[in-house]
Amino acid sequence: MKEHCNHSADCLKMIQLILDGEATDQQLVRVKANLESCRPCIEMYQLEKEVKELLTKRMEKRCCPEQLVATIKSRILSFS
Amino acid sequence: MSDTPTRDDRNRSDGPAEPDQFLPDSDPTEQVSADTPARGYSDAQKYQIFNKEFMPHIDSMYNFAFRLTTDEDDANDLVQDTYLKAFRFISSFEQGTNAKAWLFRILKNSFINDYRKKSKEPAKVDYQDVETTYNSEDAESEHTVDLRAESVSDLIGDEVATALNSLPVDFRTVIILCDIEGFTYEEMAKILDIPIGTVRSRLHRARNLLKEKLRDYASSMGYKEENEE
Repeated sequence: MKEHCNHSADCLKMIQLILDGEATDQQLVRVKANLESCRPCIEMYQLEKEVKELLTKRMEKRCCPEQLVATIKSRILSFS
Repeated sequence: MSDTPTRDDRNRSDGPAEPDQFLPDSDPTEQVSADTPARGYSDAQKYQIFNKEFMPHIDSMYNFAFRLTTDEDDANDLVQDTYLKAFRFISSFEQGTNAKAWLFRILKNSFINDYRKKSKEPAKVDYQDVETTYNSEDAESEHTVDLRAESVSDLIGDEVATALNSLPVDFRTVIILCDIEGFTYEEMAKILDIPIGTVRSRLHRARNLLKEKLRDYASSMGYKEENEE
């Protein structure tokens, strides 16, 4: 297991591509191999994944106020 | 409230008008309509598209507006403006294509044209300024912020929201679009009118900045724990 990563800036970019579902198959294979043998990259992957999940799951989702929905609908109808 | 209702009232009965008659800054759908031919929808079709394809995204749109403006009244105005514009320019929307991305693009352009410039919020910095500041070699090496997955796992939504809101708006925007709304890089490039490479690098920097903000929360929690022991 590697304890230091000499190209962590590039690895981080690849990790983000993977988590965003934007990596190519080739990139996936390369990063997966690296993630089995490089401790800093494993930790980086876990952190990126955790931060992304914070944003997707823990942020409050506000619903559009019903009054606004009603206003928009009535304004649209008045166009005709 | 903005002056928008006046503009709307003035044009309410006009039918299809030239964009510059009621959009003093620039037409938010200009580029959309430039690469899609105008479609002659009947009134019934327009209402159907509006209700079936546009209205289902209104909560996402409200969230986006609220995260951009960080103000409920501004978010209300922005969402209303966006939906009225979307209806006026509905002939440039191709039925069955990505309505959500189309609407997000209009909202983002409306925000820049109508809201951002009159805002007094100091955090709203132009991306170019920010890019110069964070584009240095130092910024590259800072990605290894002293932050671990375990240390952020206890953060609550409010702390994440505060950290996100403290980012300059261009950085905030890419994080909202990607991580909260789940748009692809390609969709983000279209919404923001920037190349995919810029989406990628802006997102990368935005996340580094966000992690720095989160580190402050995480370390303040760590400090408390030490005191308790």
